[in-house]
Amino acid sequence: MAERVIDIKNLSTGYGGIPVVRGLNLHVNPGEVVALLGPNGAGKTTTLLTISGILQPVSGEVNVLGSSIVGERPEKVARRGLAHVAEDRSLFFDLTVQENLRLGLTPDRAKRAVAMENALNMFPALRPLISRRAGLLSGGEQQMLAMARGLASEPKVLLVDEMSLGLAPIIVERMLPIVREIADKTGAGVLMVEQHVGLALSVADRGYVMAHGELTMEGSAKELQANRALLEASYLGGGH
Amino acid sequence: MKDAIGFAFLGIGAGGFIAMMAAGLVVAFKGSGVINFSHGAVAMYAAFTYNYLRLDGTIRLPLVDILPTHQANIPVKISLASGGPVDKWLAILISLLMSMLIGAGMHYLVFRPLRNAAPLGKVIGAIGVMLYLQGIALVNFGAENPQPEAILLPNTLFTNFLGFGKPLPGESFALAIVAIIVGAALWFNYKFTRFGLATRAAAGNEKGAVLLGYSPERLALSNWIIAALTAGLAGVLVGSVTGALNVVKFTTLIVPALGAALIGSLSSVPIAIAGGVGIGMLQTVVATWMSGQSWFPEWLQSGATDAIPLVIIVLVLFLRGKSLPVRGNIQEKRLPLSPYPKRIGWYVAVFVPLGAILAFGLPGDFIFAGLSGKWGFAFTTTLIGAMLMLSYVLLAGYVGQISMVQLSIAGVAAFFMARMTANGTPSPEDPFAVSGPGIAWPIAAILGIIVAVAVGIILGIPALRIRGVQLAVVTIAAAVSLQTLYFDNSKLTNLMAGSNAAVPSPTLFGIDIGSTGSAGLTDSPKFALFCVIVLALMCVMVSNLRRGSTGRRFLAVRANERAAASAGVDVPRTKLLAFGLASALAGMAGVMTAFQQQQISSANWVYFAGLVTLAFAYLGGITSVSGAVIGGVLTGSGIVAVFGAHQSEGLHSYTPVLGGVGMILTAILHPSGQSMLYQPIVQYFGNWLKRARGREWAGVGRRLGPFIVIGLAWGAIGINPWRTDDWSRPWMMALGAFLALFIRNLVILIRSGGHRELGSAEATQEVAA
Repeated sequence: MAERVIDIKNLSTGYGGIPVVRGLNLHVNPGEVVALLGPNGAGKTTTLLTISGILQPVSGEVNVLGSSIVGERPEKVARRGLAHVAEDRSLFFDLTVQENLRLGLTPDRAKRAVAMENALNMFPALRPLISRRAGLLSGGEQQMLAMARGLASEPKVLLVDEMSLGLAPIIVERMLPIVREIADKTGAGVLMVEQHVGLALSVADRGYVMAHGELTMEGSAKELQANRALLEASYLGGGH
Repeated sequence: MKDAIGFAFLGIGAGGFIAMMAAGLVVAFKGSGVINFSHGAVAMYAAFTYNYLRLDGTIRLPLVDILPTHQANIPVKISLASGGPVDKWLAILISLLMSMLIGAGMHYLVFRPLRNAAPLGKVIGAIGVMLYLQGIALVNFGAENPQPEAILLPNTLFTNFLGFGKPLPGESFALAIVAIIVGAALWFNYKFTRFGLATRAAAGNEKGAVLLGYSPERLALSNWIIAALTAGLAGVLVGSVTGALNVVKFTTLIVPALGAALIGSLSSVPIAIAGGVGIGMLQTVVATWMSGQSWFPEWLQSGATDAIPLVIIVLVLFLRGKSLPVRGNIQEKRLPLSPYPKRIGWYVAVFVPLGAILAFGLPGDFIFAGLSGKWGFAFTTTLIGAMLMLSYVLLAGYVGQISMVQLSIAGVAAFFMARMTANGTPSPEDPFAVSGPGIAWPIAAILGIIVAVAVGIILGIPALRIRGVQLAVVTIAAAVSLQTLYFDNSKLTNLMAGSNAAVPSPTLFGIDIGSTGSAGLTDSPKFALFCVIVLALMCVMVSNLRRGSTGRRFLAVRANERAAASAGVDVPRTKLLAFGLASALAGMAGVMTAFQQQQISSANWVYFAGLVTLAFAYLGGITSVSGAVIGGVLTGSGIVAVFGAHQSEGLHSYTPVLGGVGMILTAILHPSGQSMLYQPIVQYFGNWLKRARGREWAGVGRRLGPFIVIGLAWGAIGINPWRTDDWSRPWMMALGAFLALFIRNLVILIRSGGHRELGSAEATQEVAA
């Protein structure tokens, strides 16, 4: 088996030195889609922010693409090949779609045209909007742009935070399979935080369930789906 | 009309300079969201550097040798070319490198630490840099005003430029061309390169840029260097176009540059360039052609040129109705909390008698005979400074409106009062008396304040649509306009050129409470007491305002205008009320300044002195009444400044430098100002006094006694590193004891890691004992 793209051991992380997430163990393999599930306030977004270096862990190990990111600046982590599609999408509203994508492009000049083309192929709906300012796009279009921008950097690790937030169910149903496609085509490892449990598990290989900052369940997507009752209980606060 | 166009082209040189400055302001704003009030100072330093390289081949680094010994020195002056002038192009290159060095320094030492500060904190940082560079230039280059040489096309003169019949120096033409080239280069850089794209991206969403692997710090550094480089380029290449070089010259030209930059929303370099050239041309047309026309109002002849940027800035900001791009920082701090004033009566009961003692001395002049001479003057300056600071506390601290015009509003009250009291009768002190109604001083003072309030409210109208740092730009332009349209305008003031407006001495029930003391100096204790009482009343008023429903509305507007409006606060009314009240406070300060100075001129109210008073208010603590008082103590020519100058004459020339450094450090380390630093100490001490019994006093005696004894002995022997010639022995001993305790506490503070407040360090000791 190839080396794990994300490997987290016994991680505690949070804000201002106070851990929100405690004792987390998690890994993602190349080409794998892993769903991170759990109720609000479970610490899912906090975990993603720690992996991309925006938050520093309180203790524990976080390895991305084979080396630790502890003490590393977020821009350095990103340059290793990690793309983080944040909850707020972090788009540049004053720039056009094309400019947003250009900023996401891999530093390797030779590959840029291909990468841009691949990203647009994945989200063809963006093509006619290419010179529109990002701030003028609809919510679904903005989410597509955020994903496409992440893809344009040809990441080896992709973190996707609440892609479905504020989107119509029909759009979510179309977008989630694209995550699967990305992992299959590019071989990137994907860790996605998602509220649509059923949809997420339908595209994921494996899943982790968090509640109150701790891991309560983990297993293959099939196992988790088979265990709906337990899964639902963890959302309602009684998963132990 | 042909004439007018011909005259307009005469302005393209100055326009080119303004354009380049404006482009630099845009770059700095793009790169780090700072409106860089120190931009002119950077240009000035580069221009002086060039000038001295050409004069005697020396480079003077922008620092001072702070080491007191003559053996170990920090290198400041580097000599090249063995004393002779350096080649022109090499000198230009070195000067530009110097400006880039300053830009990098500004990033690392000032704006990087301030990147998450509240907008006002960044403004203070920029003012700090401005003061520092001006102070350094005074120390390094002296107060000379050299005439710079023309650099571009020095010996060319177009005798009939474009056929409009007006001669144009080649230098002016070349400067405009260079501005356009610089603008085009910057435009290309920000439009088409990945660096430019990333800069624009980081300005919009810093987190997004970080997540894509761009370092906002590296981007900011590069942009600061580019901004400083354009400043240096403008400062050096302007040559003789703007006349003799002096320390504040380019800083005064920042206002039209800000106007030009705002036309381009602080984001478009080409529009800023066009706007800059346009403003320069417009100013020249107004100054030369238009003011010569018969229809041009006579009272506008002085100052119309300087009012142009104000008009343009207000029109652009007000009519467009769209605000500047706000930077999406990861986290931007707000202004510090505004504490709820408590125990106002106690403060008055302590500080008014204390003020009376400082003014008159102890009964029978026992030990202390009251502050007199320069100390008396410094005391009243401090009190009046605190009055002015109160207006900043109300406006900026409570309502969050950054106004830089308060000092000028004080000037309006003072000038209006002076005119109202004038009666046209010449006297030995006032041989060129101006005509006027000759109203009694209290009524004239009230009229002056009313006019100040009216001006303040008018200037507050833009604040209904313009917010934050943009408002600061409007108010700074307003300050410049007030200066030239009113204070310097002999048509309105009726003053002879260069003469001052006389102010009569106030009397109350037959007692002279004017500032002239018994020895003819401006140190009358009665006037000092007058100031103490006025300040106390103003402090009580502002405190009560903060405690009442008006204060809550003020703070609601400061926190979030929309939320305030949805909670039923009438935001426009609240803002205008704040501008009116703050103007009344500033007007009071102006009236008292007039009484103190006895004659006033426009030099009392120059606009960058207004910038500095805002910075001192911030230094003291802009959100609290006690902060205003501390700001007054720190203010220029106040008690601290005079004490410092008195104790170390050598240090005197470094005052602006130290002021700038202090301002930057406060903005970085202690954004809530000095008052918040002292508050816990005072509180702790007050609580301790309340519950202290014999045992506690004995404990303090054991701990502090030895230090007090050493200090007293130190003072008694009188070996001191400072001037002691006019200090009596008891005072020396008291000072020695104070310093011994101060040094002890400083050591405790440093040993405790500097994190703990003084009070808590003491408290831990007490618990341990």
